[in-house]
Amino acid sequence: MIIEMKNIRKSFGSNEVLKNVSITLKGGEICALLGENGAGKSTLMNILGGVHQTDSGTISIDGNSVKFATPAQSQEAGIAFIHQELNLINDLPIFENMFLGRELRTKRGRLDLERMLHETKEVFKKMNVLLDPKTYVSDLDASYKQIVEICRAMMMNASYIIMDEPTTSLTNHEINRVFSMMRALKSKGVGIIFISHKLHEVMTVCDRFTVLRDGNLVAEGNIREVTTNDLARYMVGYEVRTGSLLKEKKLGTEVLRVEGLSNYKDYRDINFSIRAGEVLGVTGLLGDGRSELFQSIFGVDKPASGKMYLNGKEITIKSTTHAIKEGIAYVPRNRKENGIIKDMDILENASIVTWPTYSKHGILRIQKHREEFAQQRKALRIKMGQETDSIHSLSGGNQQKVILSKWLMAKPKLLILDNPTQGVDVGAKEDIYNIILQLAEENIAIIVLSSEGQEITRVCDRALVMYHGAIQGEVTGETMTEHDIMRLATGGSLAQ
Amino acid sequence: MNNWKSFLQWFRHKWKEAPLFSTAIALIIMVILQTLVLGFNYDSFGSWFQSWLNNWINILRNNAGIGIIALGMTFVIMTAGIDLSVGSTLVATGAFAMILLDTGSKGILAQIGITGIPAFIIAVVIVIGFGYLLGALIGITITKGKTPPFIITLGAMMIFRSVTQQFMQGYNPTLPMDFLQISNFSIGGYLLMPILYWAVIAYILHYVSRRTVFGRQVIAVGSNEKSAKLSGVNVDKIKVRVYALMGILVAIAAILQVTRIGSMDFANAGRGAEMDAIAAAVVGGTSLMGGRGFIIGTIYGMLIIAVMNNLLNLFGVPPFLREAFKGLIVIGAVLLQRKERTA
Repeated sequence: MIIEMKNIRKSFGSNEVLKNVSITLKGGEICALLGENGAGKSTLMNILGGVHQTDSGTISIDGNSVKFATPAQSQEAGIAFIHQELNLINDLPIFENMFLGRELRTKRGRLDLERMLHETKEVFKKMNVLLDPKTYVSDLDASYKQIVEICRAMMMNASYIIMDEPTTSLTNHEINRVFSMMRALKSKGVGIIFISHKLHEVMTVCDRFTVLRDGNLVAEGNIREVTTNDLARYMVGYEVRTGSLLKEKKLGTEVLRVEGLSNYKDYRDINFSIRAGEVLGVTGLLGDGRSELFQSIFGVDKPASGKMYLNGKEITIKSTTHAIKEGIAYVPRNRKENGIIKDMDILENASIVTWPTYSKHGILRIQKHREEFAQQRKALRIKMGQETDSIHSLSGGNQQKVILSKWLMAKPKLLILDNPTQGVDVGAKEDIYNIILQLAEENIAIIVLSSEGQEITRVCDRALVMYHGAIQGEVTGETMTEHDIMRLATGGSLAQ
Repeated sequence: MNNWKSFLQWFRHKWKEAPLFSTAIALIIMVILQTLVLGFNYDSFGSWFQSWLNNWINILRNNAGIGIIALGMTFVIMTAGIDLSVGSTLVATGAFAMILLDTGSKGILAQIGITGIPAFIIAVVIVIGFGYLLGALIGITITKGKTPPFIITLGAMMIFRSVTQQFMQGYNPTLPMDFLQISNFSIGGYLLMPILYWAVIAYILHYVSRRTVFGRQVIAVGSNEKSAKLSGVNVDKIKVRVYALMGILVAIAAILQVTRIGSMDFANAGRGAEMDAIAAAVVGGTSLMGGRGFIIGTIYGMLIIAVMNNLLNLFGVPPFLREAFKGLIVIGAVLLQRKERTA
């Protein structure tokens, strides 16, 4: 069992996305497909999945040449494509989802629920999945949704599965669940293509790797023979550091102190303080309440009890507008939902926070915003066309930099970054880390919320680890390791 | 030949990219059509032009009131809201203006001894303030109650008209003749006042929408409320202000309406105004999903509908069918604009 894609070329308009790429996929192995955003990974997989057609080049399965004009044809050939946005309907039970679009019917044309339920049970048994097929999909966590999708692929007798960033919204525990599922499939002879930005995951679960850059195949080989550093270098084309970026520095006065902050729903009894020039990490697993906590501090909603001191003075933040006036900035997680405003151009997205600051009698001073943004654009190295282009014309990393720039233009004293490198490629990630450290040197107090242990250990002076809405512990400086963070985040303690 | 080719290219590009291009082209075609239809009936240019001009002044004057309401509606829709209560607010504010200035025994201002120009000024200010209050009340109910604008304004639509009718039962105020000059002051023999108000308000609102913090925050709120809030925009305040602005504009339209004819039919005036205003905004490229809207577009939209009515009139199409054509225009316009959003 082997799939060969040879000399694949594909252009969209004048944009050449794939320039003569050849890859091979064997059954019974997990192959990582790596590359920065825009490297051509998705396009290549969409060609294999029948979503797009090649301009030139051939695809063959076990030596027989094939052509996929539609996703259905690709499925028929045994290729299942599990997209990042899962294809499940929340308001239906699992077993009905398993047969979405090819429901079984009785002779009289009614849905044959019995048989669908039975067949789902069979597959679950074969795959060792302990789920009740009658559970509604809305009651499943993200990993089980992923697993249901995999089972659906198996039910259609897929011999190759493409998984597009399956772990982005999963917690570590859930990730392990999906990984063991993938290993089980591998032992049954199924070939898996695993698309991911998380290199340490690639190291744990994959056998081989293929790296694309700018539409070219730049490296491939066995995972055992490389390190994450090698992979990162292949992806961006230059050396990427993974060590700590911290330097010796002197901290300023206290900027924010929080005492006993609770809303009793998402977080409780939170105490911490941060000084000017300090980079404080806050980490934990998904659902630990850190986003809600810092949104309260930013004035999105009010905490039920507790006190906040800004520059030593007690304060109640009434609204986000108030928070900004007090010099607090918050770069939210989920850029698409919370960060960008899709109907506005780049300049407007970058200046929305400072509109009231520079305006005179409510009238915008666009020239002023242009000048300010031009500075940020240079400092943050934002790659873009015109200021008046749509925000969507930018890559994820550059969008994130625009969001960052709108806050830097407000000249905050306290900068809260919630998952600042979400959906951002390796190169832009480095840029953002450097920006964070640079800002700390300019005496801004910075709080980085992240679930990536490595991110915390690389840029933060110390970190608070949250567990179910409370601070479980704190890690500092030299002793700050991903291992310790994980122990605290899963409810353990550091004391031996 | 080459020029022609590059013109075609330019046209195709504009058609695809520029948001109001197709709407403007549609308007131009309709105006040309209308001019031709009118033109065939006259021999000398002078009298043809005179009649063309009169026709246009009539069209604009007849649509000024609803045109002003449509401008406010554009702002409301830009925040992803809707205001169904405009027709009822129109009679409520109109009735209030008439009570204030009634020349009979019940006239409020006359009773406390204020007449003439000062009375007119006071009445206009109070009525606009009343519209502002009604609009702000709607806005506050929507934001504090976290309820869909559709429901709140549907309720307000029923309440405002019903209360006005009950209150004005068997009472027929008469307005001072001088007050009617607000709409009927003639400039060089033409009744241009309503058109001037419309134009001035449109210009101001266009500027507000493009160049002020408020105008851009309206777009931000409509496009992505969550992002806007997290960028320090006071979302509730923006919404209340948008509905209050709507109330002010409806009050102005009400003053124009009562001063044009000196009376108002409280049962029927402004019925369907909300739909006409929404239609004008939508034809002009404003998205009901919020985040996208053009004041200029709404004027185009209003004119397209108005010119079409005029054309149907000239062609002798039966009045009952006119609504059908209006419906076709709305659907057609949105289908035309669809390409821009998907592109």
